[in-house]
Amino acid sequence: MLAGRLRSTLPTLSRRWQTTASTTVEPPPASGHSSSVAASKLLRITRESALRTPGITWQDEESDRNIVGGRETRKMNLYQAVRDALSIALAKDDTAVIFGEDIAFGGVFRCTMGLAEEFGRERVFNTPLTEQGIAGFGIGLASMGHTAIAEIQFADYIFPAFDQLVNEAAKFRYRSGGSFSIGGLTVRTPTMAVGHGGLYHSQSPEGYFMGASGLKIVIPRSPIQCKGLLLSAIRDPDPVIFMEPKILYRSAVEQVPIDDYALPLSRAETLIPGSDLTLLTWGTPVYHCEAALQLLNNPPPSLIPLIPASLRNAKVELIDLRTILPWDVETVVESVRRTKRLVIVHEAGMTGGVGGEIAAEIGKRAFLRLEAPVRRITGWDVPAALQFEKFNMPDSIRILDGIMETLSY
Amino acid sequence: MLRSLSLKHSPLLTRVYFKGRTLSTQPTSSSSFGCLPTTQSPVVSKLAFFNSVTGDGSKIPTYRVLDGLGIPIEGAEVPEISEQFARRLYENMQLLPTLDNILNNVQRQGKISFYMTSYGEEAAVVGSAAALADDDEVLAQYREVGVLLWRGFTLDCVMAQCFGNHEDTSGKGRQMPVHFGSKQHHFHTISSPLATQIPQAAGVGFALKRDPERRSKNVACVFFGEGAASEGDFHAGMLLASTLPSPTLFLARNNGFAISTPSSQQFYGDALSARGPGYGIDTVRVDGNDVLAVMAAVKEGRRRCLEGGRAVMVEIMTYRVGHHSTSDDSFAYRGRQEVENRKKIDNPITRFRLFMESRGWWNETEEEELKSRLKQNVLTAFKRAETLKKADLKELFTDVYAEEPWNIREQREELAGLLKKYGQVWEPWRNELKNFKDEGKKLLD
Repeated sequence: MLAGRLRSTLPTLSRRWQTTASTTVEPPPASGHSSSVAASKLLRITRESALRTPGITWQDEESDRNIVGGRETRKMNLYQAVRDALSIALAKDDTAVIFGEDIAFGGVFRCTMGLAEEFGRERVFNTPLTEQGIAGFGIGLASMGHTAIAEIQFADYIFPAFDQLVNEAAKFRYRSGGSFSIGGLTVRTPTMAVGHGGLYHSQSPEGYFMGASGLKIVIPRSPIQCKGLLLSAIRDPDPVIFMEPKILYRSAVEQVPIDDYALPLSRAETLIPGSDLTLLTWGTPVYHCEAALQLLNNPPPSLIPLIPASLRNAKVELIDLRTILPWDVETVVESVRRTKRLVIVHEAGMTGGVGGEIAAEIGKRAFLRLEAPVRRITGWDVPAALQFEKFNMPDSIRILDGIMETLSY
Repeated sequence: MLRSLSLKHSPLLTRVYFKGRTLSTQPTSSSSFGCLPTTQSPVVSKLAFFNSVTGDGSKIPTYRVLDGLGIPIEGAEVPEISEQFARRLYENMQLLPTLDNILNNVQRQGKISFYMTSYGEEAAVVGSAAALADDDEVLAQYREVGVLLWRGFTLDCVMAQCFGNHEDTSGKGRQMPVHFGSKQHHFHTISSPLATQIPQAAGVGFALKRDPERRSKNVACVFFGEGAASEGDFHAGMLLASTLPSPTLFLARNNGFAISTPSSQQFYGDALSARGPGYGIDTVRVDGNDVLAVMAAVKEGRRRCLEGGRAVMVEIMTYRVGHHSTSDDSFAYRGRQEVENRKKIDNPITRFRLFMESRGWWNETEEEELKSRLKQNVLTAFKRAETLKKADLKELFTDVYAEEPWNIREQREELAGLLKKYGQVWEPWRNELKNFKDEGKKLLD
């Protein structure tokens, strides 16, 4: 709904990357761009850097193509990267189907543009408007060994499917003694704030699934990450909920390898190495964290009086958690043991959020090393009020403040 | 006054009025008003509400072949079955109460934790099973063990699941009794949450349609009670299987009760059959105590399902003669006499037995022989299962994911450490450990 339907009349081109190549006719978002994303140094805007993405493993059949030099990249935003991954999944796996509300015409966020035309309506199709039905249908398909890629239009609307996901999907293998499994199920859903989404187009429900052992929860931060993690999620032997930060659909742009590749699940990635504090986050706030570090190291004149000179050279380690469940405890613990300080940032409310789980685990594993309490910078424990968003989301100034408080504890 | 005058003399209104009159007496000329853009429904000028699928307000009829005395009713076509097949049907129907009697008593003695009987629904379940192909995918609710037995799931497997011993192939002792499953028998593992299997069945049907090996050959068959049909997942499943579409056969066991709730408190309409047409689904209601009628209806339903590649529903009318489960005393909400009467007047097993006797296919001697043989078989399986140990304790931690993540690994190791420390001194654990095959020793493997 936020993306509008203007693009639905675009001609369909046969080669998969051509259908997603252009970003030039994008309508401007209604305050839906995050300015920190455009300026991010975390995005890989050259072919060379894209091909050297840490942890990337090529999934081509031809082994002779395992040379970086022979590979191409293409400029893609996040929704185009989703589309590219889906296209590869469909092309390489005849059992793969994609379904959800409004996906046949390309999806309300254009993630499935042209796929129905390219792969047929039997493989890319609309469902009736029923989230519990979509999840249940996907479980049934996957229980037959098929690859089921379901879309829930907004993560805010995943709750009607909560029973199917928590009671059924998560427990499917366990309760059948391993004889039935639904590893082919992936549920994609747009998540996090978008500037004007209000209560039901802004939520980050990953914390609600934290106790649903048997599920995997993955959240990418960028187009390269999105494609690699989504392809891994689709091929993973366990059911995966893949949450795509919707504000990044158009604002995050990178050179993305056009070949089939994977990025590992349950592995965090250290984006900026540091030794004084560990800053852990996932999804959209990765860019707010990056912006906060820039403010700390190189404050604008207005902030100079508020940032003690002694803190300006602090080396903060920025980690993208990427997989929320099961999360990469090893990378986080190793980092915190070195830096002795941890700040966790997420958009969801604090109480019952993922940050609490991580803080408890770090408290247990790095108790004697910690030199400050684990700090959580999150949305407040209130619903996502429309006109109040700027004061509800953990933006760079709040993150900066939390970092300084923790450094000077 | 002025306005009404002008209206009266408006030539346009006069014309509409005239056509409206014409329409009300001749509904076939509906095309004169056309249709709305989102439906092919003809526009009419007469205001008329409706609340009946049959149009004249009558209830949807119930299909029956045999009456209570096993005699074909007038006009009914008796399905052609061989004596051998009839015997197989009968033996499977008789096996259910034999199994139920013993396992129900065993639960009363505390030897298993829970049980649910199939009393009164023997024809509904066995008749359905007999009408399906043995490799049709079945998604059940919980009162359908008869399908598994029909397909050759052994009594040892039934017992192993109910006792949760190390031979339990349904779920390694993880689920409550009667939560059976068998990939080999195309029977998806039962789960407790009601109706969740219904939209899943639509997905299974869709997968069957996409599989060149099984397309036009197999259906997904989903069982559920009339209570479960009140869940949102029923709505979702019916909608998906008809809209997408997929060969999904909906078998609704309407036995009159959802635990204590009579169906009069479950719905106000003409039960479940009235809903099928609302989803565009071919629907039939059948006498669930008549095994031949159930078989014929399910067989035809299955044929339509395969032919049209779309959902079909059969509502099987029965009566839950037994308690809901061993945790329920149904006489708290219905009269003991009512149930006794039902058992006497309309017993699905007796009805079919009378039919077989009328053909000279069955007699008193065979009846006695069958009953004692079935009882012996069940008792043998029961006694065997009772002595078997539970699975390895380490299975508590396996199969959550395909690969064990760090948190589960650490928790498994933590339990192993605790057992090492307290396993032989803390009595509740010491006693319980002896029941496991590995006595907890494999936790660290």
